[in-house]
Formats: sequence, structure tokens, C-alpha cells
Amino acid sequence: MKCKEGSAVLIIRVGDAFCKPCFKEYFVHKFRATLGKNRVVYPGEKGLSCNAPKKLRFVPGIVFIDEGAVCGQSWEKRHQIICEVQGVLQQTRFPFHIMPLEEVFSLPDSILQSGVSQERQNYKQAVDHFIGLQQTHRDTECSVIMEKMSQLKTVDSAVSAVSDRIYNCAEDSRPQGAHTQKLIELFDSVKTQTAKFQFLHMLRNHLILHIARANGYSKVMTGESCNRLAVNLLSNISLGRGAFLPLDIGFCDSRNGDVAVIRPMRDYFLKEIIFYNRLFNVSSVFTPGIDTKAPESSSIQRLSETFINKLQEDFPSTVSTVYRTSEKLNVSKTDVDKDTCLKELCLLCQCPLDTHADTASAFHATLVSQQLSQKVGLKTEDSGKPCCKEGTCCKGQEYGDTGHSRSLQAASIFPWLCYGCRLTVKDLKTLNHLPQYILHEADHRTHRCEMRKEIQEFLIEDDIGCV
Amino acid sequence: MYHPHLRYAKDVRITHVFIICFRGGAELLFDGVKQHHVTLPSQSNHWDIRQLLVWIKDNLLKDRPELFIQGHTVRPGILVLINDADWELMGELDYQLQDKDNIVFISTLHGG
Amino acid sequence: MPVNCSSCEQRRAVLRRPKTGHSLCKDCFFHAFEEEIHHTIISAKLFIPGEKVGIGASGGKDSTVLAHVMKVLNERYGYGLDLILISVDEGISGYRDDSLETVKRNQMQYELPLKIISYQELYGWTMDQIVKKVGLKNNCTFCGVFRRQALDRGALMLGVNKICTGHNADDIAETVLMNFLRGDIARLRRCTAITTGSEGAIPRCKPLKYAYEKEIVLYAYFKKLDYFSTECIYSPNAYRGHARAFLKDLESLRPSSIMDIIHSGENLSVKEDVKMPTQGICTRCGYISSQSLCKACVLLEGLNRGLPKLGIGKHHKLHQKLISQEPLSEHEERRLKAVDF
Repeated sequence: MKCKEGSAVLIIRVGDAFCKPCFKEYFVHKFRATLGKNRVVYPGEKGLSCNAPKKLRFVPGIVFIDEGAVCGQSWEKRHQIICEVQGVLQQTRFPFHIMPLEEVFSLPDSILQSGVSQERQNYKQAVDHFIGLQQTHRDTECSVIMEKMSQLKTVDSAVSAVSDRIYNCAEDSRPQGAHTQKLIELFDSVKTQTAKFQFLHMLRNHLILHIARANGYSKVMTGESCNRLAVNLLSNISLGRGAFLPLDIGFCDSRNGDVAVIRPMRDYFLKEIIFYNRLFNVSSVFTPGIDTKAPESSSIQRLSETFINKLQEDFPSTVSTVYRTSEKLNVSKTDVDKDTCLKELCLLCQCPLDTHADTASAFHATLVSQQLSQKVGLKTEDSGKPCCKEGTCCKGQEYGDTGHSRSLQAASIFPWLCYGCRLTVKDLKTLNHLPQYILHEADHRTHRCEMRKEIQEFLIEDDIGCV
Repeated sequence: MYHPHLRYAKDVRITHVFIICFRGGAELLFDGVKQHHVTLPSQSNHWDIRQLLVWIKDNLLKDRPELFIQGHTVRPGILVLINDADWELMGELDYQLQDKDNIVFISTLHGG
Repeated sequence: MPVNCSSCEQRRAVLRRPKTGHSLCKDCFFHAFEEEIHHTIISAKLFIPGEKVGIGASGGKDSTVLAHVMKVLNERYGYGLDLILISVDEGISGYRDDSLETVKRNQMQYELPLKIISYQELYGWTMDQIVKKVGLKNNCTFCGVFRRQALDRGALMLGVNKICTGHNADDIAETVLMNFLRGDIARLRRCTAITTGSEGAIPRCKPLKYAYEKEIVLYAYFKKLDYFSTECIYSPNAYRGHARAFLKDLESLRPSSIMDIIHSGENLSVKEDVKMPTQGICTRCGYISSQSLCKACVLLEGLNRGLPKLGIGKHHKLHQKLISQEPLSEHEERRLKAVDF
């Protein structure tokens, strides 16, 4: 115990007991230290966040996505939860945004195009630059928000397709019934719980990104604890997302370019957070998720959670060891072929594609297996090279035993997906229920790729002509 | 007990005679005996693999049942072959046993 | 409800492939399984014609299938390899005796030369004797370290250019998980490499890297290959057991998981500023080592001095004393002597 006076209320590690005031100091200090040492949030900057303790030097807003439709809740139940959440959020006196997941059906196509990120300057310069910007329009907090929103609207009118009204307790805020129906159909068409999780995660990210862009937030903070990150790390490895671990679970996730996701709670054990909330009366609302009460073997994510928790019981250093491992990882540098369109980001998760590995890889070994397991007629001539450069020749076959039309459909989207998202999409019965912005962007990319190829062929012919 | 596969006349009593083999180390849970000739008690409907597993657990399994059965199915990592074909192609737990069937359990978990 | 083979569409399928979900008949399965290993060998350029290749043979399913397939492919595709089986005898009565008999039968069946190297002749200790000294808690450390070197030393004696081992896709995936859970970043970086140990040591490779355990077992079963299966009688590793069980649960949920984990492992990238151990050479035996004494020599020294805990945990500071044959202080001795059974 630090002060050696107060009586201990909790033990974090063996021999590390805290009294209430010391715990608070420790907890708040840790938060500041995490933000400080990582140097990504500038004083006065706007960030979306779920819960923020104590005085902050940046301007937070809070976002809540109502996923009730996916979890089988009635509108009445959802409405009740939203009211509770709103009550809690009002107490924080921060601006907040409550949005139903149904809004993904109103997202603009542009959401899947990566935003332009500012060149990283050194921290000091960046802060000075930022403070300078702040000074120019520092009115009240609210006016800053409005200011930024109107700017954005003039730049891209599509952004306002999602209503930026604050979705509140009033009954008229109920999402369109047709959209709720679409969302339910989409999730019903996902064959596995594992893929449902992944879809929900992706759609939620798209929506949050949109809310952030539409409201001029440059950072989004999420509240994953160290325990949660250890679980996510394990499930992401199991889901074939190893290349993206630093983005999926690291402190700062800059995959979107203009809006960064920050995980400031990743240094805290779940126990610390629970105790903090309990000791200092931080109110929270329990919302059931898609997996509440699901058996532990219902999905890869759930299995990973059970596994980490059991291991942590037997080997108490598990979570912190896994966490430290994650600190040592980097985003792989993939050498991208300039001739193909594969320098694109994954259509769904927006990570750099990891599907152009060389022939001695798990990815190619699977393609070889697929070809060797099919009727001879379907095989391409050169079995040593199962995949063309763009990875497009194998896209139909990757779908396995399914109908022709479905594999054609898949062909339009597969080349634009990373390894992990291909697995997720394979678990879809049909692509018909996907939101339009995803299908449009896939068409757009396919189209652009074809055009580029035509131009290239034209240029090559020209070359030959010259000789 | 209600049984969804009940398709035969109720008064026909069906008895099964067949062979169960344990391989790849799975035999260690059965006193090292690799091959068992088994006659199942007659019942008014067809036996399926789900019921067979319960019967094996109660009658053949010598120790550590958790190393053979997990929940209502075989422990992941133990392969099941029905007449030398992967049970995944035969309906797994729902497969209805036929007379003189040959059921093989191979553990993949032992030795490398 | 018989299912037809998805490749020939004529014969009855005998298995569902976990990697792709396809169903194959026996003949198409044999063909696909062997061709895939051929693809692995060719695409990763594992061998050079004329090389002498040692096959680590334990008598278990993986190495039996490896020996068989290597023999088949070497003839079918004219690799021009000189194959030899190398077996390690740890000196575990009731376990190794039987599996060595299996290896000897394999030798006859495949008409390949066989070399058996024993811990006894290499180190002067059998595992049975070591267990008597160190107990059941840490014996796997000794066995693992000694086996690694034994295969290399055997290969060296035989003038072998390369060693191939029977590690399968499940093993690789398990190792990826284990290294994560243990936080072993150096191993994490290496563990998906198909060929390892090229500097100094004899290179090792894993032709079965992308072959599922399920298919290896079924290949052996349908081909009626003679293999030996039992758990080592000296306590299996609890931690590894957890990881294995998790992997099998994953596989039954989504059979491609094993390949997915390997894909994850192959695409990881470790930060450049993370310190990696530098490889040197053991001053005593010349084996590659990141310390002045290799792990095997430290373990051996511990056994010979009657201080079995010497090699368990980290006691790098004592290495100089060990090299110069100096006696340890009384305090140091007391610390390393205690064995908890």
C-alpha cells in the first residue's frame, strides 16, 4: 500500500494492495500516462469515447451503437435500454451520439475509401499546429462541433446521408422497420456464430467511423481492457488475422487514415476497471450482446475467451504475457505489386490485403488442396501455380461446393477481401443482404481493375508495335 | 423415449451385431483391447451413434471417460470411421447403425 | 447416405477434408495428399538433387507417413535424394523399446537405411536415469533439449545434408499458439519457417507443414502403415495439452482454423527494435547456442555435478565457473540441489 494508512480495498497483483484514494490516484495516473507516452492525442482535440474519467485536455464525445435488432430484442426492450444509456450519458455532460446499427443501410459508398491522414510530424509540432487551429474557432464546445460539421457537409454532401440528429428517447427515433428487417435478414444469412461476430464488429466499425467523420472527430477511443485484448489477440490469430494484430488490438489503429482508433484502457486489468466503477459509482448499463448466454463452444471468439480465462486461472501471468507479446508486433510490410489492384485495403476490415503471399504459404497450400480435390475439368492447367497474380482466377473455386450464381457473386467481392474476411464471407448464405455501400464499392473496384488492365494491355501492344 | 428416426413397426425388436475398433492410442482407454465384437441390447428402434457412445461409455470404457467423450460427442481429435468412411460423411451422431457395421475410433492425440 | 468423391465424381468418398471441406474417395485422397506434399517440397525448394536427407523417425504416425511419402515422391518425381532414417533412443523402457521396433520394421518395409543414436552413447545418461535424478517435473526440458541435439549429432556422424521431421500442420499451429501464450517472440518469428537452423547447424525442414493431422492418420490407416501410438510415460506437458485441446475445439468449429493460424503466424511481423538473441557457438561442444554454454551442456553438467536444477531456469552467471571447471559456492550448490518431486 502506498500511503500505508488507509485500509486496503483491493489487491491487483500479489502483495500490491491499495486503499481507495491510492487506487484512484493510481488509476487516473495510469490513464494519463498511457495517453502521454503514446503521444497521439493532442490537447483540445476531439475524440469519441465510451467512458472517460477525470479532467481531460481533449474534448470528448460519446457514442453508443444500439445493436438490439441483431440480438433479437424487441423495439420496446431496445427503447428501454436506450433511455437508460441516455440517462447515464447525460450525467457525463459530454456531447453524445446514440445510433441504431440499422443506420449502416444509409451509409455512403465513400465510407470504405480510406481517408487522407496527415503526415506525422513530431509531437511538439503537431500539438502547436493543432492548438493554433483550435484558437481560430474556439467558441463554446458546441459551436466547434457545429462548425466542423458544416465544413464537412460542404465538402461531401453524401456524408449527411445518415441523419446526425441525436437519436433519443422519443418514440419517433425508432429506426425504419424496413431497415430493421434488412439487418435481421443479413444476420440470418450468416451461417456461423463466429462470422456473425465478425460482421457485427465490422458494421459497427463502419458506422462509428462515419459518425466520427460526420461530426469532425479525429480519434475514436474504445474501452478494451488488457483481458479483452488477450482474448481478441487469440481469436484474431485463430481467425487468420495475424497480419493485422497491431491494428486490431494495438494502442493506436490508424488504418482509416483520417480517424484513428485508440485503446487507452489496454493497460488495465478487467479487475481494476470493475473495481474502479464499483468504488467510485460509475454507472453503467448492461446490454445483452449476440453471445450472451451462448455456450462456450458456440464461436471461435467465445472459445478463445473461455480458453484464456481458464488458462489465467492455472497460470496467472497468461494475460499479461500475451499483452506484452502484442506490444512487440508490427504491421507486416507487404510488398505490393504495382501492376495489380491489390494495394487496396480489405473491403470489409480495411486492413492492407494479406492474400498475395508467395507459393510456399498456407494461403497457397489451401488453394492447391482445393484444386486437387475438385473434378479435373475445373482445374487450371498449371497446378504448380494455382493462382494468377491478382488472385482472381481462383475466386470462384474458393467457394467450395456451392451453386454457380453464388460463386459468381463471390467472384465480385473475394479479390477485395483479406484472408480473414474471406473466411467470414464464406459463411454467408448469400451476398444479397449486404448493405449497398459494400457491394457498390466492390463493383467499383472490380470495374477500376478491369479498366486498368485494359489500359495496360493497350500500352503493352503499343510497345510491341514500336519494336 | 421419443425418437425422431422411428420409421419401423413398433413391435420389431432390432438387435445389432457389429465390430468396434480402437486405434491410434484410443485403445489405451479400453484396457489396450483394440477390437470388440459387440451385440447391442434390442430396442424398439434403430440405434444411432449418439446412443452407441453412451453405451460404450457405460460398458466398454475403462478409465478417464473425459479423454474419450466430451459433452454428447467424441472428444475432438478422435476420428470416427463407419465402415471405413469418415463419419462426417455419414451424418455423425445421427447415423443409424446397421447389422455388421464396422465402427473405428482412431485417436490422433497420441504420439508423433 | 453415401457421398460421392468430389474429384472423380464416381467412387464413394471416404473422408471429408478439413482444409477445404471437399469429400474424396480413397484413391483421389492418396493422390491429393501426396501431390500436396510434393507441392510443398517444390514451392519451398526444400531439397537439392543428390542431397543426403535424414528422416527423423520415431515410429509414430507423423514420421511413419513422412518416411513413406518421401520414399514415394523421391521415386515418382526423381528428386535424386539419398534417404536415411535416423532414430533417437532416449532410453525410456516400455515406451521407446516398442516404438524402435516399429522403426526397424519401417526400415525393412521402405528399404531405407536406419541409424539409431542413443542418449546413453551421446550423453552417458538414459532418460530413465535422468528421471531418477530430476523427478517428473522437469524431465521434459532435458528430453527436449537432448533430442534436438541428438538428431543433429546423428546427422553429423552420417554426413547428412538435411534433416526432415514429421511436424504437421496441427503441430505448427499449436506452436504458434504456444509461443504467443508464452510470449516467446524470438520463437514466434521462427516457428512457421519451413526450414530452420541454416546457420552452422544442419538445416531442418518440415515437408508435412501443411498436412492436417487428421489426414495423416487416415492416410496411415487406409494405407495400412505400421505405426506406434502411445503417450510418453513421463508426464505429458500440461500447458501444451491445453493448447492442443483448444486447437482441436477450434478445428471442430471451423476446420480451416489450423491453416488460418499458420497463415496468421506466417504474416506476423515483429518490431525491429525488439531484441533478438544472437546466435553463437557453445564453447564446450561447438553446437549453436546464444550463451557461452549450450543448454544441453549445462543440463549435462548439472547431472554430472549432482545439481539437477542447474539447467532449469536461468543461471547464465554461473556459466564462466562451469567452463573453467571451478567449484560452485556452497550457497549456489544448495540452491541447485533441491529437487521437488
